[in-house]
This record gives sequence, C-alpha cells and structure tokens, in this order.
Amino acid sequence: MIEVRALTKTYGSRRAVRDLSFTAPSGKVTGFLGPNGAGKTTTFRCLLGLAEPTSGAALIDGAAYRDLAAPRRHVGAVLESTGFHPGRTGSNHLRVIVRAAGLDAARIDPLLEVVGLRTASEQRVGGYSLGMRQRLAIAAALLGDPKVLVLDEPANGLDPEGVRWIRRLMRTWADEGRTVVVSSHLLAEVAQAVDRVVIIREGALVKEADIADLTAEHATVRVDRTAAMLGALRAAGADHEVLADGTIAVPGRSPSEIGGIAARAGATVIELGQRAPAEALEAIYLAATAEIE
Amino acid sequence: MMSDLIAAEWLKLRTTRLLAGIIPAAIAISVAAVAGAILVHEGGGTALESSESVRRVLSVSGAGAILVLVTGIIISAGEHRDLTAGDTFLTTPRRHRVLAAKLIVGAALGLAVGVVTSLASTGVAAVIYRSRGARFPFTDAEVWLTLAGSLVYTALFAIIGVSLGSLIRNQVFAVTGALAWFAVVEHTLVNFAPGVGRWLPAAAGQAIVRTPLEGLLPPAAGASLLAMYTAVAAWSGIRAVATRDT
Repeated sequence: MIEVRALTKTYGSRRAVRDLSFTAPSGKVTGFLGPNGAGKTTTFRCLLGLAEPTSGAALIDGAAYRDLAAPRRHVGAVLESTGFHPGRTGSNHLRVIVRAAGLDAARIDPLLEVVGLRTASEQRVGGYSLGMRQRLAIAAALLGDPKVLVLDEPANGLDPEGVRWIRRLMRTWADEGRTVVVSSHLLAEVAQAVDRVVIIREGALVKEADIADLTAEHATVRVDRTAAMLGALRAAGADHEVLADGTIAVPGRSPSEIGGIAARAGATVIELGQRAPAEALEAIYLAATAEIE
Repeated sequence: MMSDLIAAEWLKLRTTRLLAGIIPAAIAISVAAVAGAILVHEGGGTALESSESVRRVLSVSGAGAILVLVTGIIISAGEHRDLTAGDTFLTTPRRHRVLAAKLIVGAALGLAVGVVTSLASTGVAAVIYRSRGARFPFTDAEVWLTLAGSLVYTALFAIIGVSLGSLIRNQVFAVTGALAWFAVVEHTLVNFAPGVGRWLPAAAGQAIVRTPLEGLLPPAAGASLLAMYTAVAAWSGIRAVATRDT
C-alpha cells in the first residue's frame, strides 16, 4: 500500500505539491491523473526517495523508500525522467541493477522475453526506439519481482499495441495482489485499466475515489417529460448533462436521489441507471482539469 | 552490500566504451610526454643517465592523470547526463554508499592506469635511451620514487575527479572547468606566483612526481597536501550526493 500524507514539495517559491494526501491500496490499479505539470512526477520522486519532501510524508507499506530493506524487491518504478547509457546494451543495463541490488541474474532473460526485447538485448541502447526504451525500463522495474509498482506515464512512446499490453500487465499485477500506481495526463490511456483514481491539479488533490463509487454517484435517467426534469434538477442544484440519446447524466448524485427528484417533478422514469465507468471518470476528470485550460 | 555496489560500479564502467578510449589515450599521453622530454633533452649519451635527467624525464609520466581525472568526473556526473542516476538511487537509496563505491572503483582505476602508464613510459624511455647511446639507470632510486609518485598522483586525481563529478553534476561544466583550472589557471599561478601556486592541487601533484621545478613543495609535503585536497573533495562529494535531490 502507498500512503501519501500531507505531502508538500516546494522548489524555491514554486509549490509543486501542496498538502497532498491519498492512498493506493494493494490489489488495485490506482490511476494518478492530472494535466502536465500538476505535480505527478514530483509526488513520485518524493515517494521514491529521489526528492526530499518539504513537509509531510510518502510511505510504502508504512516505510519511507530510503528505509526499505530491499528497495528493488519491494518497489518497481518506471520514471519518465529515467534514461540509459547509450553505449550500454539492454541486457547489461539490467545486469548492473541485478549486481547492485543483489538480485537473481536468472530473471534477466525471461524478463527480456516478457517485454519483447530478447532479440535486441545485445544491442546498445543508443539504437533503441522510444518504445524499446520504455520496455527496457519496465523490465528493470520488474527485476526484483516487486510488490509495489509505480509507473510514471508508462504508455509514453508505446504504440497502441504496447499501450494495451501495459494495461493488461497492470491488471495482472493488481490481480496478483500487488499495489499498482500509474500516472498519466491522458485519461484514455488508463481509463479502462484503473480501479481507483487520484486526480490532482496544481499540486493539490481534486478527487480520490474508487471507480465503483464514481459510477454509483453518477446517475443516468431517461424520463418522459425532459423539460420538467431539467427544471427540477436545476432547482435541486444538480449539475447535469443531456446526452445524445436524450438521457440525462447527473454527476455526484445516486440513482435513488434522481428517482426522487423525478417523482417530485411529476416525470415518469423510463430508465434509471449509473454512468459507465469510463464516462463517469471522464466527466470527473474534465471537470477537475477544465478550469485551468 | 558494499561489495555488490563496487562490483556494479565496475560493471557500469566495463559495459561502456569509456575505458577502451581512456586507457590507451592515457598511455599515449604519458609515453609521448616522456619521449618528448628525452628528445628535447640537451646532450645525449651519458648526460641522460644522471638522477637529475631521469627525474626530468619520468616526472612527466603522470601526464595521463588528467584523463583519469576526466574519467572520474564521468563516473559520477555521467549518471546525470545519461539520466541513469535515478535508477542508481532507486537501487541504492542510501546514496552516500553509491559515491563511496564510485570513489573506490575510481581510485582502483587510477592506480591501475598509473601502473600501466608508468611501466609503458619507463619501457619507452629505456628504448629511447638505448637509441641515444645511454643506459637507462634502472637501479637509480630516483626512477622508482618518481614512478611511485606518479601512481599516487594518478590515484588521487581519480578520486578528485569522482568527487568533482558529484559536486558539479553537469558533466560538460565539470570537465571543462577542471581542465581549465588544472591546465590553465594553476599553471599560470605556479609560473607567475609560485608562492601561492605551490599550495594548489596540481602543483602538489607536480611535487609528488618530483618535477624539477623551482618553488614546488618537497614530494612528501606535496603528497600530504594533495591527500588533504582529495579528502576534502571526497567528503564534499559524499555530502552533496547524500543531501541533494536527484
């Protein structure tokens, strides 16, 4: 489990992360979302001991990264800002990590196979495409068979097939009980893969919720008297959106609340339900990020 | 484990082309400097065999140390240029241990390069001596004191390089800054203000290799002074790596 508690990180006068708290439980894929520059990478750097928090804490299974007994066996991280020596081969890059962390070198070849770099493993990384580098970074993260995975924009540079592949991997890891946190500024890349979202903007938390709760609180309704229903929703102070087929979507309200409003408006409910997860997430994300654009 | 970290640092060094470029170049510079010193020596034959002459000839065998210094800088600052520092510190979040391993590997490399350049320089010197009708005085203590000095000088410069690369993480700045300092600034000071210049690190290094130059400290004092500079640099480098964000 990852716990971020009142984390603040300032660079000079710029507050990159402000009093941010959230948790990412094990067995779930937690999407860490926000526009570029929202503070996602800074949060990860504090979590991984690469930057010192100005105040607050970011803990992995209750401990700061620097205090983990065997960091590579505990946490696997793919960071956007990580690079490779262009003159070193892919397999040697992994060998260096295995050596320094005291890991099992027998994991290298099977992992190269998993990430699809077996044939390129003896080539120098300087000749790798962006997608191949990303795959090598993923292999490096997996060397210690970690319980916690922290992925910063892992889909960058991957082709659509690669994006699907990383989504499937994240699902598998979470189903195995691992903690998976994935950041992205592109909702579509991760929307189908996450169980939970943490949305930040300008370094501060906007929304933290399980997808199941997001949909439970995002009712959809079709009624016979749409105009009366819209009036009642406005009167109730409920944000709403009329979809293409005439269905009214009401974020932040449960179906039972909406049923009540319809009854008071004298509208007959034709269909009452919950917004699809990806759509509910998109509505939340757009609302969270729209104001600054 | 520290031994794993040292092995990993050595593996990093071995798996790039850096050493394949640096070692031959360091040998070439030292050998060329020694050969040049013999060839410009006035009076061939037995005049070359004096202790004074041997000292003048062999003291330049430490010339390759400047490349070892550059290698040291690349060992630490290179991790920031190639953005591998993040990965390194993820593996070893107690970062001072990383720099300690780098310092050890750097020092060992410096010693090894020092041995190789000294042997190559001496071999070439012996051959050129013979061609000029002189015998290389292998039994003269001056030969071995100078070569020992050259080893110490090269190893300490490797440690200074690793430390500098940790303090100045921009590799280009660190390399150009170090070369400008040691090759230009100090050189000028030693020549024009030896009272100040003799206390600077490269001048201390010149003293260790027994360069016959007016105004330098005695070899042992030079060695102590350079060792002090090295210790301060290493300590500052370790502090920097432990306290700064990556």
